Amino acid sequence: MAAVEVDRLRRDYRQRAGLSGRRRPAVEAVRGISFGIEPGETYGLLGPNGAGKTTVIKVLTTLLLPTAGTARVLGHDVASRPAEVRRRIGYVFGGDRGLYDRLSAFDNLRYFAELYAVPAREQRRRIGYLLDLVDLADRQRDRVEGFSRGMRQRLHIARGLLHDPPVLFLDEPSIGLDPVAARTLRTTIADLAAAGRTILLTTHYMYEADELCDRISIIRGGSIVAEGTPAGLKAGVGAGSVLEVSGRGVPAGTVELIRGLPGVCSVTVEERAGGQVLLVRTEPATQLTARILGCLDDRQIGTVAVRAPTLEDAYVELVGDQGAA
Amino acid sequence: MNWLRILTIGGITSYRALFGWTSPWILVPSLLVAPLGQILLFAYIGRASGVGSDAFFVIGNAVQYSAMPCLFGATSTVVGERLQRTLGILLLSPAPRLALLLGRLLPVLLNGVGVALFGYLAGSALLGVPVRVGTLAPVALAIAAAAFGCTGLGLINAAIGLRLRDTAVLSNILFGLLLLLSGADVPLDALPPGLARISGWLPLTHGLAAARSLAAGGGLADAGPALLAEVLLGVGYGVVGVTLLRLLEVRARSAATLELA
Amino acid sequence: MTRRALRLVAVTWWLQLRMMHRSAFDGVMQLVWPMFFATTALLIYRVGGDPDALTYAALGASVMTIWTAISSSASAILRRERGFGTLELLVAAPAPFALSVASIVLAVSTVGGYAIVATLLWARLVFGAHIAPDQPAVFALALLVTAAAFAVLGFLLSVTVVRYRTVWALGGALEFPVWLLCGFLVPVALLPAWVRGLSWLLPPTWGMRAVRAASAGQPAWADLAACAGIAAAYCVASAWLAGAVLRSARRHGTLSLS
Repeated sequence: MAAVEVDRLRRDYRQRAGLSGRRRPAVEAVRGISFGIEPGETYGLLGPNGAGKTTVIKVLTTLLLPTAGTARVLGHDVASRPAEVRRRIGYVFGGDRGLYDRLSAFDNLRYFAELYAVPAREQRRRIGYLLDLVDLADRQRDRVEGFSRGMRQRLHIARGLLHDPPVLFLDEPSIGLDPVAARTLRTTIADLAAAGRTILLTTHYMYEADELCDRISIIRGGSIVAEGTPAGLKAGVGAGSVLEVSGRGVPAGTVELIRGLPGVCSVTVEERAGGQVLLVRTEPATQLTARILGCLDDRQIGTVAVRAPTLEDAYVELVGDQGAA
Repeated sequence: MNWLRILTIGGITSYRALFGWTSPWILVPSLLVAPLGQILLFAYIGRASGVGSDAFFVIGNAVQYSAMPCLFGATSTVVGERLQRTLGILLLSPAPRLALLLGRLLPVLLNGVGVALFGYLAGSALLGVPVRVGTLAPVALAIAAAAFGCTGLGLINAAIGLRLRDTAVLSNILFGLLLLLSGADVPLDALPPGLARISGWLPLTHGLAAARSLAAGGGLADAGPALLAEVLLGVGYGVVGVTLLRLLEVRARSAATLELA
Repeated sequence: MTRRALRLVAVTWWLQLRMMHRSAFDGVMQLVWPMFFATTALLIYRVGGDPDALTYAALGASVMTIWTAISSSASAILRRERGFGTLELLVAAPAPFALSVASIVLAVSTVGGYAIVATLLWARLVFGAHIAPDQPAVFALALLVTAAAFAVLGFLLSVTVVRYRTVWALGGALEFPVWLLCGFLVPVALLPAWVRGLSWLLPPTWGMRAVRAASAGQPAWADLAACAGIAAAYCVASAWLAGAVLRSARRHGTLSLS
């Protein structure tokens, strides 16, 4: 039995607008997606802001009802048996919210331990163990209002693990964390996965998904546009290379010209501070650097680099704007 | 011309920005249902205790309730900006400060007048208190003066909002004090002497007295001194408020507390 | 199961109370706000010159402070949970949501307990309203049952906030009508006939009658039973509503909206 099964899940939102209460057309946040997560697997849901990742997690954590389709966690339907699902899952989300600022770390965990029916006899021991795990034992009596974002995130993880759930949902857990805190968090998540927990992780950080996930789905506009292992997705991008040219004022016509060259798979233009970066993915065993640079005016070229495709390239190609400069 | 645009268009835009999150479901209960509730409560207390008349309590509470939108609205012009972290940006702009401030306060004042007028008319209808059409305009003028006074007081509260976080508490306390001491429900001569002296220095007291006399058919000439006193008090409070704003702004900028974390 | 539920209520009550004590201003407001109204009412009654009426009003004023604490806080607390981002966590937890909410409301009602004492002292010291219940134990019980009845109404209000975000404004607006309808400061008999029916449907009206009866040494049990009975019916209705409202919030996605 799969740990998580999602079958043609749809979720729409209806908004009421303004004083007149007129209904706007429904927003389709999730458009009939399907995927499954095996027990012990770490599964990533990757996508830009507004793609529907958080909506999927909220359906799976029973906070939202599906508009259509089904979702099951450990065999229990999220819509009809929410209590069964809630007992078996931990839900952790990123950001500053989700904790009681005026209570200490210990009291926060105590409160949630009661909500998750952790037996009274075990609470103290379990809370102590978790605070050690997330390295907050020495701050357990301090009020959360004085915690940094990294500390709050670690406390969130501890909270999500209080009842030792077999399935964990992590919704953008590293958002807003500095590199050191984010690395620590990734280590913790990797340890949880190694201990056999099933994890669904949503993120828009490619390296995070690449490092932690056994399989990834890339979601865009409420639909899954690609699914596979990180290696598989990278391979899907092609074994060729990526030519990265930084420049300034590259006309749209030139981009189209480059796109038309034989051996060029795709051209993506990223606007960055002070100019643009052209990412030209080429087929394997082609030497197109000179021809591509030849299309560009010398004045337009800054730096030039050739590298192997990364998961980010796959991602950008699948969800990004393809060269509309 | 820029001064006028900041005053009018800027003022309305900021009002929408600060209060646009509200819906009819928030506005109707707090600005229309609540004052009617207060009017009915005290009208019946008056009946049960044999004090005053329905008309006394209708106009008293209708005018007194205008303090709610005026105090909170005036306070929000600073505290609301502070919470949204737009206060610093606003103060950095070259826009004339007085125009900015007055533009923000004008909708607040109009809101207060609207709430009081609604309370007066609806309360009178509910309790069967006759309202002479000819008195409406003068009464509205008195209400405007009273709301002006309250808005001035609200400006002082707004200035304190640069220093304190919980200005809502202070607004509620001021509202309560006005309920007690402005003559809205307790006749001024029934107040202990010390408190009665304070009444004269509070907003609403004079405007309310003028409103009552005008509602009863009295002339503007008779109500004139009370109206003038109310307006002068409003100006006085406003000047104190603006001065305090300037002083506390300087302090907040040096203590890095201009924006709430 | 029951022991676990009781433990949840106890721990929630304790921790919520702890949080409330840490924001002194909120606590002060819950006490001070109704005191302004109580004082104004007492001053009016003093002008009226009837000492019995003054005692009548003083008793009512002490009870009315509980309603203020509850009506503003119950809806505000869930709004605050939403703002903290913890409302979703409460829903996502296996503990029955209704029980979690009821525990929070209980904590809020406890603060109302301070309010009763403070108001009675105030009425005695400032207005000389002499309240010496002939049946102190029944008087205390009547106060407790009335407070519980308020808690049930507060629970109903707070449950609605889960689905309809702006109901907190309604909580504030309902303060005065409830004071009037429940006969705290004005005898119910003075209200129009059609409104009196509403009064009798509110459990605190009966609680207030019981409190007055106990204070005057008259039989209070029938009124107490009516209060408890009607409150129990509201409780059942609220628990059912909690389930329905939660389901609706999940359907419409309003749990996380602020």
